[in-house]
Amino acid sequence: MKKILIVDDDPDLQEGQKVFLEGRGYEVVTAGGMEEGLDVLKSTTPDLILVDLMMEHYDAGFVFCAKVRENPELAELPIIMQTSARDKLGFTPDSYDEKARSWMKADRILSKPVPPEDLLKTIEQYLSE
Amino acid sequence: MEENLRVLVVDDEEGMREGMRRVLERSSYQVDLAENGEEAIKLLKANTYDLALIDLKMPGIDGFEVTRHINETLGHQTVVVIVSALATVEAAMEVTRQGAFDFLVKPFVPKDLKQVVERAVRQRRLILEREKYLTELASERNLSSQLINSMHEGVVVLNINREPVLMNPKAESFLSVRYKPQLNLQELSLSEEILKAIDDILESESPQGEARIRWEQVEDRMLEIRVNPYLREGKNAGVIIILDDVTRQWQAEQDKTRFISMVAHELKSPIAAIINYINIILTGMFDDQVEKIHEMMERSKIRGEALLDLIRDLLFLNQSDVGKVEKSIERLELNAVLRDQLEFFQAQADRTGITLTLEAPEDEYPVRLDRKDLDRITMNLISNGIKYNREGGSLTVVIQQDDEWVTVKICDTGIGMSDEEMKGLFAEFYRVKNPNTSGIPGTGLGLATVKRIIGEYNGSIQVDSTFGKGSTFTVSLPRA
Repeated sequence: MKKILIVDDDPDLQEGQKVFLEGRGYEVVTAGGMEEGLDVLKSTTPDLILVDLMMEHYDAGFVFCAKVRENPELAELPIIMQTSARDKLGFTPDSYDEKARSWMKADRILSKPVPPEDLLKTIEQYLSE
Repeated sequence: MEENLRVLVVDDEEGMREGMRRVLERSSYQVDLAENGEEAIKLLKANTYDLALIDLKMPGIDGFEVTRHINETLGHQTVVVIVSALATVEAAMEVTRQGAFDFLVKPFVPKDLKQVVERAVRQRRLILEREKYLTELASERNLSSQLINSMHEGVVVLNINREPVLMNPKAESFLSVRYKPQLNLQELSLSEEILKAIDDILESESPQGEARIRWEQVEDRMLEIRVNPYLREGKNAGVIIILDDVTRQWQAEQDKTRFISMVAHELKSPIAAIINYINIILTGMFDDQVEKIHEMMERSKIRGEALLDLIRDLLFLNQSDVGKVEKSIERLELNAVLRDQLEFFQAQADRTGITLTLEAPEDEYPVRLDRKDLDRITMNLISNGIKYNREGGSLTVVIQQDDEWVTVKICDTGIGMSDEEMKGLFAEFYRVKNPNTSGIPGTGLGLATVKRIIGEYNGSIQVDSTFGKGSTFTVSLPRA
């Protein structure tokens, strides 16, 4: 069973996606913020991470990604970022070149709320690669 | 002007002197007489003459020497007419060379004298007018430079060769450059865009009156830089650069943008959570688990209500921003108000077993506030004290007073805050985020609003907190 880590400071988004993904046959672990997420990664290695952008700080999601990538074992782990501030901040994947995207360290940036089936499709795509 | 004109007649022949005096006095000039060069110089030192009629040939100091004295020592103040019997062209030229204005040939009739004097008077009047004009010009220059130097904006003037020719003290301070002659444009460290605007204006065939405007950050200031053509008779004479400090305006705009993007985020989050639940329900995967669906709808309802609270707080904030709320300030008694409020919160406190206590030993604690404002302050703080408490904890409200201040302390035994978490506690949309607070609803506007209202009544709010032990909020309001 594939394991997904959800890092989100909104308990409802966390809970909603958790029950949905569990219903689709995934094992889900959750964390309510950047620090908690990094803590979870010390004892668990998921197959994919879903992370929110604005948590403790407005860019906590980016900081989280960068810290995850510091660990060579997690460097290739797919990370999908979800944010409701995507358009506002201009963080669309298309608006950034290769270099900027590598700085962002996230493989995909999705706009909240992500329709469940779209989320599932994206997750499946990264897990099959 | 002519009435008071003063004329000096210098001649060694008494008959000549007296004759000229009579003629001139009849034309109402004020006349002084000197019988030789020495006496003339003495008089010229003592008085200011508009006109001097000077005999050329005198024993001792002659007419030329007196003329030289007037021109060199007195600087052209007196118009000189040489009176002489030597009526040759050479002599006339020599007289002019020596600095005299005109030449009168002896012997002459009164009419000749009058004509020469009138011409000299016209010359004198021109000199006086020119002097007056120069004085005025100097004082106007003085005025313009005082105006420019006292301006709130920085001013830099460049000539047609792009050389700074004027900088007022404000411009010196904005650009951190001291003005000196031969200052180079490069030393002003202006941006490429401004330099280009300067070139555009100077190279333009017909520079328009309009300015090129840019906002640029210069050190810790935001400057509005306006580049205007400097025109003389419709032609390019250089560039006038006006620098205006717009840092506060810029700051306010930045704050507004930041606030709006935070509002957008705070409004979107609950909607995203609700839509997410609905989407999951709509997948149909929980159709046979009604209790699961109810749970999600219950959570959606809570988020929807919280969103309403947020919108209400935002509207309140906006109203107080524009001063729309009319206040009805009255004398209120805190003991009674707080007793009522604690009673109101009793049911909520009972749910988590929190004991509410009011400690107010005196009968009256009078303050002057709008009742709605007072409710906002204390109900926010009491509500927080219950929300962020532990099960079975307590919330104690203590009222104290002295002659000037009434102080309310609201102490809880809740989760408390670390020093790090307390920073920014009163900022809009600030919420302490840690595992203990993640399930507690809040708009992030409560304490910001409380602090703002207290400020309106010249009061103060302080917080003391120990992580894991609890927090105490202390509000001081002027005693009525």
